[in-house]
Amino acid sequence: MNKKIFRSSMFTVFLVLIATIVLIFGILFQFFEKQIQAELSNEAEFLALAVENEGITFFDDFDSKNNRVTLIDKDGSVLYDSVADAGRLDNHAEREEVKDAMKDGKGISIRYSKTLTEKTMNYALRLTNGSILRVSTEQYTVITILMGMLQPIFFIMAAAMILTFMISSRVSRAIIEPINRLDLEAPENNDTYEELTPLLKKIAEQKETIGEQLASARKKQKEFSLITENMSEGFLVIDQDANLLAYNTAALKLLDIAAPSDKSVLLFCRAKEFRDVISDALSGKRAENIMARGECSYSLIANPVFEKESVIGAVVVILDITESEKRDVLRREFTANVSHELKTPLTSISGFAELMKEGDVAAEYVIDFSKSIYDEAQRLITLVNDIIKLSELDGESISFESEPVDLYELLQEVISRLENEAAKRKIAFHLIGDRAVITGVRKILDEMFYNLCDNAIKYNREGGMVDIIVNQTKDEVNVMVRDTGIGIPAEHQSRVFERFYRVDKSHSKKVGGTGLGLAIVKHGAVYHHAKISLESAVDAGTTVTLAFVPYRLSNTTVSFFRSSTTS
Amino acid sequence: MRNKFDRQLSQLNSELITMGALCEEAITGAVKYLTDNDEKNKNVCLDADRQIDKKERDIETLCLKLILQQQPVAGDLRIVSAALKMISDMERIGDQASDIVEIAPYIVQKGTLGETHIREMAEATIKMVSESIDSFVKMNLEIASLVIEHDNVVDGLFDKVKQELIKSIEMGHSDAEALLDLLMIAKYFERIGDHAENIAEWVIYSITGEHRKGLEIRGKRNDLPGRG
Repeated sequence: MNKKIFRSSMFTVFLVLIATIVLIFGILFQFFEKQIQAELSNEAEFLALAVENEGITFFDDFDSKNNRVTLIDKDGSVLYDSVADAGRLDNHAEREEVKDAMKDGKGISIRYSKTLTEKTMNYALRLTNGSILRVSTEQYTVITILMGMLQPIFFIMAAAMILTFMISSRVSRAIIEPINRLDLEAPENNDTYEELTPLLKKIAEQKETIGEQLASARKKQKEFSLITENMSEGFLVIDQDANLLAYNTAALKLLDIAAPSDKSVLLFCRAKEFRDVISDALSGKRAENIMARGECSYSLIANPVFEKESVIGAVVVILDITESEKRDVLRREFTANVSHELKTPLTSISGFAELMKEGDVAAEYVIDFSKSIYDEAQRLITLVNDIIKLSELDGESISFESEPVDLYELLQEVISRLENEAAKRKIAFHLIGDRAVITGVRKILDEMFYNLCDNAIKYNREGGMVDIIVNQTKDEVNVMVRDTGIGIPAEHQSRVFERFYRVDKSHSKKVGGTGLGLAIVKHGAVYHHAKISLESAVDAGTTVTLAFVPYRLSNTTVSFFRSSTTS
Repeated sequence: MRNKFDRQLSQLNSELITMGALCEEAITGAVKYLTDNDEKNKNVCLDADRQIDKKERDIETLCLKLILQQQPVAGDLRIVSAALKMISDMERIGDQASDIVEIAPYIVQKGTLGETHIREMAEATIKMVSESIDSFVKMNLEIASLVIEHDNVVDGLFDKVKQELIKSIEMGHSDAEALLDLLMIAKYFERIGDHAENIAEWVIYSITGEHRKGLEIRGKRNDLPGRG
């Protein structure tokens, strides 16, 4: 601003100076020229008069102070010259002023010196005798005078420059000051130059627009972070150079890392699978992969983000699939167990039958073989029965009749059925407790306790004990079945209630059983809303406790449960 | 101009992390092949080694370009020069991992691994490599110092393995070829541990600009007996 004002005022000063000089010189020079010309003609006429009167002798004591006086004969030869020696001057007949004078009586001419620094003004006058009297005066030209004036002009220019600088800086300061004092927070409330009003209006409008845009951007950002922060999946957005643009805390939590300090996505995770999906996504392909990290496994899904057909980034979603992977493993194990349990008896049956069909079996072995076939078939039947029972418990559509059941009585009955089996292995039963009535399905309860007691015998040692304690408290009926058997190692305890799960992976036939017993117990307990707990120590025994809801309290719950399941 | 410089620096960082991750893959693959006899891991390791070699050249070019075109100073220059040194250590880790894979088949066939501490050594080495890369990724002095200290563990395990092998030879009922191979593998692990330690030292250097801490510990380590 200062510079601009300075420049323009300097320019103005310069222009005015030039114009003044030109004007003054133009007018004054012409005026002086006329003056000189008049003087010259006066002098010439005066001299002419003198020469006419006195002849050439007039010049003998003539002393020309300023002007050069020349007398030229009518043939052009110089008769007298006040400066130079007349004899050495050449013929002047062809000089412009002389020619004019010969013709018209007088003539004027102006001649410039070679350097243009001086000019000579000549005035010639024809005398009566035909000779010519010429008076010349030498004069500086405009250029010479200008040259002479250069120094003062420069002084003036310098003075003007300093003055202009001072004034312009003061002026610009004065102009700028109110502008600097503008309150841009409220542009329209300012009292300043009228010329600024449109600008201030515009600023006010833009301020408003920016405010609105900012608010909406902030809102969007908030929505975005609300959505991403509430995702349980990890969520990353990256640009085409694989730099992080956004991520949610779930991503940090899933990968168990602190917030990365730099923007490279590799700070998040540098596993091969992760790098692969990202490079795939950034090359424009959707990529999925499974990444294992420690105990956990993650599913990675990366999608490229396109803008005008070029990839500008990618969105990566990280899912924790540890649970489902685990379930997958369980399912595979389950399938393998089922097929094993079903196939083993069938293979035996088929093998024995094949031998007998071929007629290779000696008569005395046929009975043995038949017995084996019978045993295996029985095992299959038990297994299939168990599966049916379980599926009955699973399928909630099948309804059972609930009735009050005395667990003590029921257990007595179960024990009496198992007594033979127990006696074979010299195992003693002790039933302790009193009547305890609950609401339940007799068939299922029977099945549950039979299986529990059966296990207590099967996995007991010779001459062991089975204690069954029925205990009724105010809001619970507890049934505890405690054996002194081989126990269940801690790592298996959480899984023994799974179908076909065997602690002893060899599925030993010696013990028998289908691997479904405890599964039936568990499902029965779930059906009856009973809590089930298991305590066990290897070689010390196992205790299974079932906590039922007693009859009086259970009335409503069971009926509610029943109605909800049958509807 | 500076913008480009920043971009190149962050590219250098990413490339280094990738190269580090490849080192982890190479050594993990080699160890898995050695202990679990899984053919697939052998290729994982060899493949990672090839990529590591390529990355080394890429990063080297990038570093030289950075130095020539951007003339980095102070911390930036330290990062670039540390990167140049680090990649040669990483490259050695990749090479030695693939060397292990090349020696391994005989031992894998014979199954002579179980009696020695080489498994522990492998695990300790993987941990060191992984943590040295971690210290770089997080620019963490603490992890870097831990790595440097951890090298003592690997060195100790090497001595142990050596003693075990000597004992085996003295008993005279072992397969000589397998024993020599085992010794070499153990030595490779020990070397990889040293390289991981170097990486950690470079991380410390690029953060603090000083080698002192690394030198101190190295001095202590040299006093340990049985170091070849």
